[in-house]
Amino acid sequence: MNSAMTRMTEQLLATALLVLALVPASLAQSECPEYHKFNCDRASDSRFSVNGQSRSAAVKVGEETELNIIVYRSQDYRISVCHDEKILGEALAIRLVEKVRVPKEGGDPSKKEFVEVEKVLWDNTEHDMLQEIEFSCTATKRIAVEVNAPGAAERKGRHADEDIGCVGILIEHMPTPGLGF
Amino acid sequence: MHTPSFVQPLAVLADHQPVRLMSPRFSIPLLALVLLTACGGGPEETTNQPTTDDLVIGGEEASVASLYQMPTPNELFGLVKQMAGEGHKRMLNPASNVDRYVTLKGRAVNFGVYATDLVYASSFKLNVEVARYYLTTKKLADALGINSAFTDADFVRLESNLTRGDSLEVISNDAYQRAYEKMQSEKMGPVLTMVLAGGWLESMHLVIRQIEAFGKNEQLMVRVGEQKVTLEHLISMMESFKDDPNVSGIYTELLVLRDIYDQLNVTRSAHQGASASGRMVLGDDVSVEMTDAKYAELMQAVDRLRTEWTKPEDQNE
Repeated sequence: MNSAMTRMTEQLLATALLVLALVPASLAQSECPEYHKFNCDRASDSRFSVNGQSRSAAVKVGEETELNIIVYRSQDYRISVCHDEKILGEALAIRLVEKVRVPKEGGDPSKKEFVEVEKVLWDNTEHDMLQEIEFSCTATKRIAVEVNAPGAAERKGRHADEDIGCVGILIEHMPTPGLGF
Repeated sequence: MHTPSFVQPLAVLADHQPVRLMSPRFSIPLLALVLLTACGGGPEETTNQPTTDDLVIGGEEASVASLYQMPTPNELFGLVKQMAGEGHKRMLNPASNVDRYVTLKGRAVNFGVYATDLVYASSFKLNVEVARYYLTTKKLADALGINSAFTDADFVRLESNLTRGDSLEVISNDAYQRAYEKMQSEKMGPVLTMVLAGGWLESMHLVIRQIEAFGKNEQLMVRVGEQKVTLEHLISMMESFKDDPNVSGIYTELLVLRDIYDQLNVTRSAHQGASASGRMVLGDDVSVEMTDAKYAELMQAVDRLRTEWTKPEDQNE
């Protein structure tokens, strides 16, 4: 009876230890939905307000994830990206891509056909891997914020699940201010 | 700043089946499995199957996971408010209709309509209507299972701030945002897209009514023209759920509106110089030419659809 109790206690202890070992990973994942709220730095310019399209997500190393948003004419935006460097690596590759619906070239003119094309507007690999950008918008546009994580240098022996980390995309906006007096 | 530009077709993306690529909660079933085993229970089958109820497009074979966000209506009304004077409560969907939406589709679409009316009322400081539409929206939130977004504490806060328009705007917008996030976290994709469709249509209706009340203003017409972009975004977001029986009709009706927008001339030109704020300008200047005839056609289509979507369901044959 006693040995059965001991075995059961040992089993429970082992299970508890296993659960405790798993908790940090599970917490990290469950925190993803609000990751940008607590990990991305706000703009130094206090005129920027947080835009409701800000979002966080779990991202896998080497797989592209895009956040599709709308930016409005006559607004200035700041988009900053924060991420779990231990898993996803030091700097993410980030592109801002406009999605445009245009008439299909060579299509039947009687039935106006359309296709969607992408225009790369900004690519941080050409800008020292900057993790934030500020810009003005002179026309309302559909923008995809594309992120791709290279992965941390020390990845030896890691499981596939450990290649997934949190990324936050904080979007801030303000009406385009004029310069001068 | 130099802005490189090249064009890529999107056909590859369009072909992907909608599945969840990565769940932020992937570890929860694993934990549950461990705990069940510890309690002597058999290892129940846990599935991590892709679900269409998430706003993520892509899959194991896909190279891209796509997430969609829509701007909150206050962004548009904030811009409209600068150009078009005061708001009018007669433009809103009557609050008395709220109990007459009984289907999931009717409730979801009109939740979007009423939530937009709430944000409009708070943007234009229609204070009595803010309180009325908060309670109206909350009723439909309860019916849709997202009541946590509209709390009694917030209503008390709202009542005590009735004379402070800016606070009302913040409280209303926060409630809208919480409802949006709740639908995302609960994987209520089809409901969310119906809510957003109702919200988009009501925003269009309110801006058009604003134009009708205050006269055609070039800047407002530009805003109506630019809603082409938000409609395309919404339709793209709905693609994953277009076969859902509740969503399919709404999706098809929005395509009719997009067809009208497709007939407008759109001109793109490179922006010259920096912006007024000195920041880089992102992408081209775009001009959507809204003729009087096309505006009239669009207005009629929006009016027809709004009448249909907001019609109390006890009036249906």
